[in-house]
Amino acid sequence: MRGPNRGAAALSMLMEPDGTGVWQDLVNEFQSLNPNISVRLVEGPPATNTREDMYATSFLSGEAGFDVIYGDIIWTPKFAAAGWLLDLTSRLSTSDAEDFLREDLRASFYQNRLYRIPAFTDAGILYYRKDLVSPPPETFEDLQRLAKTFQSGDRWGFLWQGKQYEGLVTAYLEILWGFGGDWIDPDTREVLLDRPEALRALEFLRSTIGTISPASVTTYVEEDTRTLFQNGRSVFLRNWPYVWTLMKESPLRAQDRVGIAPMVHSPGHKSAATLGGWGFAISKYSRNPDAAWQFVQFLSRPEQLRKVQLRLGLIPARKSLIPSVFTEILDSARMRPPIPQYSQASDILQRWLSAALTGRVDPERALSNAARETRLLLGL
Amino acid sequence: MVRRFGSHVQAYLADAGWFIPASILLLAIVCYPILRAIGLSFVHESLANGFHTEFAGLDNFVRILGDSRFRGSLTTTLLFTLASVTAEFLIGLLLALSTTSLRKWRNLPRVIFLVPWTLPTAVIAVLWTWIFNDQLGILNAVLIRLGFIDSPIAWLAQPATAMAAIIVADVWKTTPFVFLILLAGMQNVPQDLYEAIEIDGGGIWAKFRYVTWPHLLPFVFVAVVFRLVQAFAIFDLVWVMTGGGPGGATETISVYTYQMYMRYLDFGYGSALAIATVVILTLAAGALYRMLVTRYERIF
Repeated sequence: MRGPNRGAAALSMLMEPDGTGVWQDLVNEFQSLNPNISVRLVEGPPATNTREDMYATSFLSGEAGFDVIYGDIIWTPKFAAAGWLLDLTSRLSTSDAEDFLREDLRASFYQNRLYRIPAFTDAGILYYRKDLVSPPPETFEDLQRLAKTFQSGDRWGFLWQGKQYEGLVTAYLEILWGFGGDWIDPDTREVLLDRPEALRALEFLRSTIGTISPASVTTYVEEDTRTLFQNGRSVFLRNWPYVWTLMKESPLRAQDRVGIAPMVHSPGHKSAATLGGWGFAISKYSRNPDAAWQFVQFLSRPEQLRKVQLRLGLIPARKSLIPSVFTEILDSARMRPPIPQYSQASDILQRWLSAALTGRVDPERALSNAARETRLLLGL
Repeated sequence: MVRRFGSHVQAYLADAGWFIPASILLLAIVCYPILRAIGLSFVHESLANGFHTEFAGLDNFVRILGDSRFRGSLTTTLLFTLASVTAEFLIGLLLALSTTSLRKWRNLPRVIFLVPWTLPTAVIAVLWTWIFNDQLGILNAVLIRLGFIDSPIAWLAQPATAMAAIIVADVWKTTPFVFLILLAGMQNVPQDLYEAIEIDGGGIWAKFRYVTWPHLLPFVFVAVVFRLVQAFAIFDLVWVMTGGGPGGATETISVYTYQMYMRYLDFGYGSALAIATVVILTLAAGALYRMLVTRYERIF
C-alpha cells in the first residue's frame, strides 16, 4: 500500500488492541498530513509480555519487522542493550526535553544515550476513603491503625496487588523505598535485598494479610482491587492513576468520598511511587528512520497525547498536561532498576516475594535467596 | 556370512545416492540446530555480555545444578508427564480393547476418536481455555447447574486446578494417538492363540494377560515413549492456556527454556537447558526400553 510518490515510506508499529480506535484515528491524521508515509498499525495481543516477545523475535531475526515501538518503560534498557533501538539523543528538542517529566525522561536513557520518547506516565498511588479518613496517613503505622479502625464486616482496610506478577514487584518497591531501602542500586548495581529495610518491607506486607487485607490479596491484580474499592469494600487501595479516571462516574467519587495521596513511608523517609509508563522508540533495523521519527514526533506532541488521554485515561508524560491532583505523586516517582536483565530480576523477586507472602518460605530466607539469585544473574 | 555382508554394503552404496538430497535437507534443518544448541551450551552468549561469544566450559551446566527455578519446572514437567501419559495410556488401551471386540461399525468410533488428534494443539488450547473460563466457561455452567459448586471456579487461576486443566486438555488431545498405535498392535495378534486359550478354558482376563498383552508390549513401548517425549517437551498447550502461570505453577522445562531464550535473551544458558532436557529424556527412554522390550524378548 505504498503511495504513488517516489519518496514513499511504509512504517509499521505493533501495539495493544486499539479498542477505542483512537490510535487508528491518529494514524489517519498523520497520513493525511504526510501523504508520502503510510503507517500500518499492528494490533498485538493485550498481554504486555507477549508483545515484548513479539518485538524481540522480530529484532532477533534482524529484519525491519516493526519500525516504531510502543513500549513499556521497563523494556528500554533491555532493547537498548541488545542494540535494537535507534539512538535518538540528537533528535530531541530542548523544549520537549524540558516538558517531559524528569524521571520519565531519565528512564528513557541507557548508558547516557536517549532511546525512547516518553508518552504516558504511571505511578503508584494510595487511594483512601476521604469520608472516613482525613487527612490521609503518612506512615506505615498510621495506615495500619486507620485501616484497623475503619474496617468492618464487609469492608477491608487495605488492598494491594499480591499475585505473583510484575504488579507485586511495583507494590513491594513502594513499601521498600518507603522504608529507605532499595532493590538494586542503579549506580553500583549492588543488590540490597538482604538488608534489614527489605525484610521490614516484606514483613509489613505480610502482616496485612488476614488482618487489614483479605487472605486472597495474594491472588489479586489491579482490577480485582479496583472493583472492590470502587464498591466501597476497602478503606485504602494501592493502585495506578487509571482508577481515578475510571471512578469518575462512581458514586464514591461523585460524592467526593475518595482521595488520593502518596504512598505511606516510615518516619524519617520519603514517599515513593513506582514509575511506569509507555513511550515510543525506533527500530535500528528500520529502513525509514526519518519517516519513523516524523511519526514518533507527531504522536508525542501534546495535542495527540491529549487525545489519547481523553479516550483512554492515560496520563501524558508532559508537565504541561499533568492533572494537578497527580503532580505531587508523580514527583515522588522512581524508576525500577534500569538494567538489561530487568525481566529476569523481576521474575526472581516475584517468585520469592510470593513464596514468603503465601507462607511457603520464611521472609528472611526468601529475601536472601532472591538476593543470591539476583547477584548471580548480575554476575556479582 | 562375510560375503553376504559385502554384497549388502554394495547394494547399500548404490541406493545411497538417492538419499543424498533428503539427507542434505535433514542435515540443514535437524542436525544443524542440534549441533548449534550443543555448541551454544558451552559458551556465554547473552544480552548481559552484548551477545559476544565467550567460551564458558561447563559454567552453564553448573548453573543448572543450582537453579531452583529449573528444579521447579522439572518437577512440574515430571508431574505433568506422569499424569498425562498414564491417563492417556489407560484410556487409549481401554478404547482399543473395546473397539477391537466390536463386530459391526468398528470404523465409526475409530474415526470419531481420531478427531482431537488431528486438530492443531494451539486451537485445542484455546478451546479448553474457554471451557475452563471462570465467567463464561461451560464447565462451570454445567457444575453449577448440577449443584456440585455454588459459584464459578477460576480453574486456570489457581496452581492445582490450572495444572489439572492442562492435563485434561492434553489427555483429550493425545489419547487418540495411543489408541491408534495400540489398535495397530492388536491387528498383529494371531487369532488362533485366542482359540487355544478358549480350548484351555481361559476367560477374557487370560486372553488379555497371556495373548494380547505380550503381543502388544512393543507397541506399548512405542506409544509410551513417543508420548513421554512429547509430554516432557510440552510447550504449546501450556503457553496458550496459562503461559506457565499462575505464579509459575505450570511452568514446564520447555516454557522455562523459551523464557530463557526469548525473554531473557540468554542463548548460552537457554541451550544448556535444552541439552539437559534431551539428556534427561534419553535416560528415561533408555530405562523404559530396558524395562519393556527386554521383557518382551524374554517372553519369546
